[in-house]
Amino acid sequence: MSALTLEHIYKDFSGLQVLTDISLEVEEGERHAIIGPNGAGKSTLFNLITGQYKPSQGTIRLMGRDITGRSVHKIARMGLSRSFQVINNFPKMTVFENVQNAIVSRCNKRFNIASFLDRSAKIHQHTEEILHSVGMMEAKDMTATELSYGWQRKLELALALALDPVIVMLDEPMAGLDVEETRGFMELIRSLTHGKTLVVVEHDMDVVFSLADRITVLSYGGILITGSPEEVRASEAVKNAYLGRNAGAAGGK
Amino acid sequence: MTRFHIFRHGWKVLGAAFVIFLPLIVPEMKVHMATEVLVYCLFAVSFNLLLGYAGLLPFGFAAMFGVGAYAAALMFNHLGGAPLVVVMVVAAASGLVSALMIGAFCVRLGGTYFALLTLAFQMFFYAVALKWRSVTNGDDGIPVMRPELYLPGFGNLSLMNIHNLYWVTLFFVVLGILAAYLFLKTPLGNAVVCMRENEERAAFLGYNTYLTKLTVFSFAGLLAGLAGALYALFQEFVATTAIDANMSFAVVLMTIVGGTGRFSGPIVGAVFFMLFQDWISDITDHWWLYFGILFIVVVMYLEGGVSSLLNTSLIKRLLGRKALE
Amino acid sequence: MEIYAMMATHGLVYGMLLFMVASGLTLVFGMMGVLNLAHASFYMLGAYVAYSITVATNSFWLSLVISPLVVAIIGIIIERFFLRKAHSRGHVAELLVTFGFFYILGELVRMIWGSNPLPVEIPAVFQGEIPLFGGTYPVYRLFILFFSGIILLGLALILMKTRVGILMRAAVSDAEMVDVLGTNAPRLFMGVFAGGAALAALAGVIAAPFLSVYPSMGLDVLLDCFVVIVIGGFGSLFGALISAILIGELHSFGILWVPRLAMIFQFLFMAVILVLRPTGLMGEKE
Repeated sequence: MSALTLEHIYKDFSGLQVLTDISLEVEEGERHAIIGPNGAGKSTLFNLITGQYKPSQGTIRLMGRDITGRSVHKIARMGLSRSFQVINNFPKMTVFENVQNAIVSRCNKRFNIASFLDRSAKIHQHTEEILHSVGMMEAKDMTATELSYGWQRKLELALALALDPVIVMLDEPMAGLDVEETRGFMELIRSLTHGKTLVVVEHDMDVVFSLADRITVLSYGGILITGSPEEVRASEAVKNAYLGRNAGAAGGK
Repeated sequence: MTRFHIFRHGWKVLGAAFVIFLPLIVPEMKVHMATEVLVYCLFAVSFNLLLGYAGLLPFGFAAMFGVGAYAAALMFNHLGGAPLVVVMVVAAASGLVSALMIGAFCVRLGGTYFALLTLAFQMFFYAVALKWRSVTNGDDGIPVMRPELYLPGFGNLSLMNIHNLYWVTLFFVVLGILAAYLFLKTPLGNAVVCMRENEERAAFLGYNTYLTKLTVFSFAGLLAGLAGALYALFQEFVATTAIDANMSFAVVLMTIVGGTGRFSGPIVGAVFFMLFQDWISDITDHWWLYFGILFIVVVMYLEGGVSSLLNTSLIKRLLGRKALE
Repeated sequence: MEIYAMMATHGLVYGMLLFMVASGLTLVFGMMGVLNLAHASFYMLGAYVAYSITVATNSFWLSLVISPLVVAIIGIIIERFFLRKAHSRGHVAELLVTFGFFYILGELVRMIWGSNPLPVEIPAVFQGEIPLFGGTYPVYRLFILFFSGIILLGLALILMKTRVGILMRAAVSDAEMVDVLGTNAPRLFMGVFAGGAALAALAGVIAAPFLSVYPSMGLDVLLDCFVVIVIGGFGSLFGALISAILIGELHSFGILWVPRLAMIFQFLFMAVILVLRPTGLMGEKE
């Protein structure tokens, strides 16, 4: 079954056409990367899918259900979660509290006034599970702003995963990490998204080609090609779009 | 147990005892003042649920307070036999409903819009209260007869006795403040705070920010309505002054001067506000002006308000720095 | 028929007065991102200072010149020593500082001049009425119209033709321009702030004989101005003009048709606009 379907999506901002005729299908359990030169429309596409923008035309389906034009929080509750390219956590709350916010939502307790959060064993337990899985238990009482950049990126990932989503969408999850950290992070993502559908926007080609089952290449608001890493690597159109960049060779940006 | 711990908990017990036995310790004039302070404490605490915790600044918060006051006054006058608790519930419900109406509209727009739109709504309520003489008596106001309170075991207590009034007010104020405190400990209370911390992320985590804000706004309105009813009881009179801009501004001033960062801030602010009024109005009629100046000083230089001064420097100086280790 | 023309002119007069006050408010918001509540106090101070000057010197014209100057200086002090410092603390802190000054200035006025309304006489040359629309119309109101029209023209000229004006328009439409302006920015802001204050004070001066001088005149004009710039769009001068006139007319006809709750019309209108177009008629699309 298709986890995410985009049908003839168009998006324009006051006359400026940013996305043209985007059609895409991501299968359940698939790892899908979206790549493309700067300005190609990756962020816009991301924001469209997650509900921040409404498409000018076209339909978006999540597990078969129409989510076109739905609000951000509804889409999140329907099983689509995302991380942000620019760190976007709860700055003055601790790591534990950050993840807990997500767990509260997952356990459907957002409007609950019948219990005390401190005493909620289930929420506590789930929060610790997530923290364990990303290896952040030791930092759980640190304030988000006290964290090193690498840990903040982990927190970003944790927040996206804590919702136990059907589809995880990561926007440049390793932005700003060094080569060493990137490798570790990639394995973390691989293991934690096992069985889930993953959509990643990335610049780092090493990551893209080792992580992705299928890749979509965007250019000037349109899809150049959607295919397996081999197909993309071989594509002339892609090479031209990147104008001399070595898609597949070492290095990314 | 360190000296600090004994001091801290002893301080709380002593404080509670003082508040409970106040009418027996303090001269009658001051019991009147203390009753008024209690009312403002609840008003300010409900306001701070919005400003300090939800990150919403309503410049027109007196709307809910005033609606509660008028609801109570009208009930006391037209349904004189109604039990006190019922009147309080009705006033709180009126506060809730008016907050729902105003909030449904204003909460969607944040920041400056919200601040001033609530003021516009409050001024609208004020205009209604002023012009609808047949019900509200305009700026002449509605006199309120304090009812008798029947308590099993105590018989009929007259609320004209200021001691009785103090304790009844204390009861409801404690109830209200406790409700606010416990609210903040629930998942919904947490949702309110996390939305203030990062509204965008909260939305992406599945939080309906509009509904969450509307809920906390309505809850704050409920508590403000209750405070308004207690105000009506205390003043024995409700006029447009309960629902005017001055009342809206007063709660803004006292809460911020007290400190919005901690739960006790607004309580300190309300107490300080009354004490300040008491002291300075002996010297000049224009104590409002000086409080306003103090307000600006706090906003510019003392982010935690007066309550932040009380917590650290006072205790540090009394115990020496070692006690805090 | 004459009554409608009369009411429409009343509305236009009040609308133009509102515009004079709202223009400074919306420009400062557009440029600095803060809604200066004290702006309403500038209007009020303008009126009160005019009262005192007129009482002391018997010259309304003198107050027309001095009052805006005095208020502009107060505005500069507030901007330079308070608002600027609060800027780093975020919009809420800035808003609260302006609120604090709005409040203090209100109390100060009460302290100095008392709580009762004060009368300011219409200058002799403008007293009386002239024939208009089949009836007669107060000369002074026509003067207000004329004067505010000149101000409007002056504002338009400054914004369109002078370098300062172009910088201002740029800063309103693109906040990042401010950084590009570099060291000129603080001075530009201060200038706009002071200019807006002077304009509000001027409006206060000419409104004084017309609307009388009373302590809560600041609050009244604040709310009206807020409605004006909400409808017209924060930062849009043209929008402020259109909506000020609209509000003026709603005010006028509201008093004619529903005297006891005249404010309900502008209230409802604002509500409708906010629901349909949250950024106002002319405001920036988010």
